[in-house]
Amino acid sequence: MQKDRVSSQPSVHTDASMIQFFRVYKTYPGNIRALANISFKIEKGEFVFVTGPSGAGKTTLLKLIIRAERPDQGEIVVNKRNVARLRHSQIPALRREIGFVFQDFKLLNHKSVYDNIALVLRALGHNKREIPKRVRQVLRVVGLEEWVLKQSPLKLSGGEQQRVAIARALLNTPAIILADEPTGNLDPDLTMEIMDLLEKVNTLGTTVVVATHDRSLVAQYSKRTIPLYRGQVAA
Amino acid sequence: MKGGMGALFILRRGFGIMRENGPAHILSIGTIAVAFFLFASFLLLPLNFASVLEAWEKKVQIILYLKDGTGEGRIPQLTEDLRKEEGIREVRYVSPGAAKKSFEKDLAGYGGVLKGLKAEIFPASFEITVQERFRTPERIRSLAARLDMIKEVEEVQYGGVWLERLSLILYTLRWGVWVLGGVLVAIIVSVTANTVRLTLYNKRGEIEILKLVGATDAFVKLPFYLEGGLQGLVGAGGSILLLLCLFHLFSAKVAPYLSFYFGQLRLSFLPPHMIASILGIGVAAGLLGGLFSLRKAGGI
Repeated sequence: MQKDRVSSQPSVHTDASMIQFFRVYKTYPGNIRALANISFKIEKGEFVFVTGPSGAGKTTLLKLIIRAERPDQGEIVVNKRNVARLRHSQIPALRREIGFVFQDFKLLNHKSVYDNIALVLRALGHNKREIPKRVRQVLRVVGLEEWVLKQSPLKLSGGEQQRVAIARALLNTPAIILADEPTGNLDPDLTMEIMDLLEKVNTLGTTVVVATHDRSLVAQYSKRTIPLYRGQVAA
Repeated sequence: MKGGMGALFILRRGFGIMRENGPAHILSIGTIAVAFFLFASFLLLPLNFASVLEAWEKKVQIILYLKDGTGEGRIPQLTEDLRKEEGIREVRYVSPGAAKKSFEKDLAGYGGVLKGLKAEIFPASFEITVQERFRTPERIRSLAARLDMIKEVEEVQYGGVWLERLSLILYTLRWGVWVLGGVLVAIIVSVTANTVRLTLYNKRGEIEILKLVGATDAFVKLPFYLEGGLQGLVGAGGSILLLLCLFHLFSAKVAPYLSFYFGQLRLSFLPPHMIASILGIGVAAGLLGGLFSLRKAGGI
């Protein structure tokens, strides 16, 4: 698929940036301002925290990256694609380059762990014979053993469930991992495990963006932070 | 390779969705089958009614009763004139004597009562058989009106009133079936749309994940169209099977009794093109239901 490049935009640089926001505004119906004048750049292979209290605009920012929302103004460039101007039919291609991890895991509890992971590969048209191999491969990356494959997600601990969700996000070897409060439902030990896993993924070359309101978590890792407050980048 | 795999997976997903939401689908298919059963029955009715009408039309005779005092000498000329009339195939003169004999034969059991009846009280008449292409209510009525103009004719009798009533019923049925069909299709679309909407609601988690990982619109939506289409097809197919069973039962058990009144009945089931149309309408209505529910779901 042809990428919607933005080289004609003089003020937007695409060089080594993986994600770039340029004067982005987003307001929800009812005149609820979610983001205003947001500009930042995340380089390829970087690990970045997006921080701020609830309602600061963290989730909206992540949604804009995957084009689940459209900005009212401004430009967003993700892996050299001008996200704001993508046609509807081009959105799946963008999302295949991004893995998304949620606070509530978003696993399908009526399916086995194997089916949760394999569903994505089937949806992306992978060869039927490759699927079991790929599922086991990604399971090893997130440090889970094979016995979990036949289990329902509900039978796993919170940490294990989040590992399954991360495994699912990693399936398509994405260029970017977006994690929205990935440790919000976990105790401190499991939080560390998941953060270590995300760091490990990052060392393999994947750009990782973690949205969190947990200041103590951010303090434990010496990573760049984009602090949001009431929809703006805090000074 | 990927496309083929995808199509197969989408098909399996469509069936899987129906299996997971089984009771709702069974209910929905049942409702669709009932709706189509009514529609198909109404199609079958005029189809066979027409054959009854045809059988009656074949029996149609026009009887011209002649005025008293019409001399026997006029009969050959009248017969000749009638034969020349457009639409008439056969003309048979029935003299008062012959009419009396026929009457006595028909009422043989009441022989004693009929004794002493004079032939003169039976009017002379012509029994006229109409050509096949003239056996429509309109043409018979017009022919009868022309024959009534003959000065020797006292009265013209034909089964016109019955024929007209029958053809009016047939006409109403033919139009009624399309009105009913329209209403039923609307019901089917609504039933399918609601079932698909229920499935969409149950599957919203899976849909959200599929969209997030970059599944195409076709991959996400096709199983739901398929679900709607399959519901329509299975419902319509079921209704035709049910109707076929009842039709055979009717033909075997009830039709012989009806033959006493209508003569040898040629009952026929829906022709293949009508069955194909019903199945096609089922699929189309189901797809439309799926489309409406997906439209309403908006973000999907």
